[in-house]
Amino acid sequence: MNRATQAFYYGPYGGRFVPEMFGPALRELDAAWRKYRKDPVFRKDLNNLLHNYAGRPTPLLKADRFAELIGCNNVFLKLEGLAHTGAHKINNALGQALLAKMMGKTRIVAETGAGQHGVASAAAAARLGLHCTVFMGEVDMRRQYPNVYNMRRMGAEVIAVQEGSRTLKDAVSAALKYWAGNLQDTHYLLGSALGPHPYPRIVRELQSVIGREVRRQLGVYGFSAPQLLLACVGGGSNALGLFSPFLPDPDVRCVGVEAGGSGPEQGRNAIRFGGNGRTGIAQGFKSVFLQDQYGNLAATHSVSAGLDYAGVSPELAWLKERGRVQFCSADDRSALAAYDTLSRSEGIIPALESSHAVAAALAMAGTLHPDTVMVINISGRGDKDIFITAPHFEEKAWKDYLLSEAAREGRNE
Amino acid sequence: MNDLFLDKLQAARLKERPLLMTHFVAGYPAMAESRVLAEALAAAGADILECQLPFSDPLADGPSIMQANQQALDNGSTPKSGFALLDGLSARTGCPLIIMSYVNIAYRMGWEKFALACKKAGAYGLLMPDLPLDEGGAEFQDLLAAQGVHLLPVVSPGMEDERLALVLRKARGFIYATLRSGVTGARSGLESSSLDFLRRIHQHSTLPVAAGFGISDKVQIDSLQGLADIVVIGSHLLDLYRTSGLTAVQRFVRSLQS
Ligand SMILES: Cc1ncc(COP(=O)(O)O)c(C=O)c1O
Repeated sequence: MNRATQAFYYGPYGGRFVPEMFGPALRELDAAWRKYRKDPVFRKDLNNLLHNYAGRPTPLLKADRFAELIGCNNVFLKLEGLAHTGAHKINNALGQALLAKMMGKTRIVAETGAGQHGVASAAAAARLGLHCTVFMGEVDMRRQYPNVYNMRRMGAEVIAVQEGSRTLKDAVSAALKYWAGNLQDTHYLLGSALGPHPYPRIVRELQSVIGREVRRQLGVYGFSAPQLLLACVGGGSNALGLFSPFLPDPDVRCVGVEAGGSGPEQGRNAIRFGGNGRTGIAQGFKSVFLQDQYGNLAATHSVSAGLDYAGVSPELAWLKERGRVQFCSADDRSALAAYDTLSRSEGIIPALESSHAVAAALAMAGTLHPDTVMVINISGRGDKDIFITAPHFEEKAWKDYLLSEAAREGRNE
Repeated sequence: MNDLFLDKLQAARLKERPLLMTHFVAGYPAMAESRVLAEALAAAGADILECQLPFSDPLADGPSIMQANQQALDNGSTPKSGFALLDGLSARTGCPLIIMSYVNIAYRMGWEKFALACKKAGAYGLLMPDLPLDEGGAEFQDLLAAQGVHLLPVVSPGMEDERLALVLRKARGFIYATLRSGVTGARSGLESSSLDFLRRIHQHSTLPVAAGFGISDKVQIDSLQGLADIVVIGSHLLDLYRTSGLTAVQRFVRSLQS
């Protein structure tokens, strides 16, 4: 790092570790972002889209029945799942797609893990008249078929990534490579607060609408500030979106929840901030990565496709190091249990990603002062997860249904 | 190391032909076979050997080289076993050696240790495309230089003049120019923009230039005459090795010198 690149960093993390061929596009993007982020026309168009298209502001629900289960009186759920396309991802997708349009680009390329960012990108592209290509790991395409289908319906081309672990990190690489060959007319719409500078900054800023709304909405309930914020952490965008407006206030405790997967051993989870993560440089940035002893990115596992990533936001790595954000994890089993609990107690079916944050709240039951004002980011809704949750909760009924549908299709042919 | 490269360069310049740099991946298809492949390339007339130490997420490589990286890793190729493979290779074959890898491999091993290993392996230079000069590349360049190894810049056609000048001002050894933006992978033909890019480089630097990305035949090589001192063949060799085996690779390398 030197003086010229200092702005790319969060403490020692961040940077722009890419081959020179990406440099011109990243510099162009950086300049455009600095030009437009405060531009009145851009702001007006974006606010318009967020309000009329994405349905913002999303509600902040006081979840009293759920609150009883953890022994707190003031538990709030930020319902990002009620945003158009079902997750917070739309905030970033609309912002970047609009930026791309102002830059004169006609195409966007995106990576996706759970498919939520892909769906959000496909929708934003359709709405703004841009062509959209989405790279998605083959494994994730199987796990998240409803999202694949929806992307295609909105006109996006979905390309299956066959390389490596065939999950999110491989989709990131594939999207970056496609971009490198199409820099002239294409914007790379990165989906989380990571990657080479300026992406971590752009995504964090576009997502911080979540935290700003929370502050305002808590005010309506009569609270000036929360005491505890909880969010799941895949790449880190919904967490930073919620946390960032509150970071200057040391009395707001921020907790990120990582995917504990099926066990603590390397390869069975996506806990970057546990014992296994190490500082590394990959996919264009320096941060904490799950990797082998030689520096190769490690395989990860989570029941939720959106948390299944070997790296994490460089800003979160720095906030963790400074002790400003704490981290814990929830494993597959407790995330599924939390999914069930929230569905039954509040009639809200959370995404499996968000269920990790819910699980962490449940794990705190009895340890918090009853008056703690807590906000849990329900980053998405759970419809997309039916191929994972249905076989888990209703194995027989689900199998019978699939078989009968398959038979019906067969008869119709 | 320096002398071997400079002697070869001078001889090639007298003959008005480019040096042929051939790429292989340490541990692909397996450690022993990659040694056989490297020596066969040299025996068939390759001038410079480029050895890639495999990485799980190679950002500048296309499908052929990616797959070779993955297979090498699956076979247990490590930086240590890769360096061991290279031990004495350059002296044995008479070919200058270029090592290529990605930044996390060096970062994880430790900069100094990696630099020392490059020197011990007899490398003339190192290619590390995802380590820009202003992200620690300049410091690593100094560490390598202390071991007599060059950190070779990798430059691409879309680069702004100012950036190109900045990168080339600090360049040592030779310059690796990608003929297009995008990833490695065999293609046919050469675009005039690729040739223009090589001309642009010569306006900024007097160092030798290696041209790579997409080279797969003699016609392309001939059209680089006078613009590139070194031509790099990577994906095409891998594709050929995969489909037709070692003798086909050797026949191809020989055919390029006719
Ligand atoms: C609903 C939902 N929540 C969370 C995430 C994790 O991403 P991030 O950590 O960037 O918010 C995803 C990613 O796909 C998601 O779909």
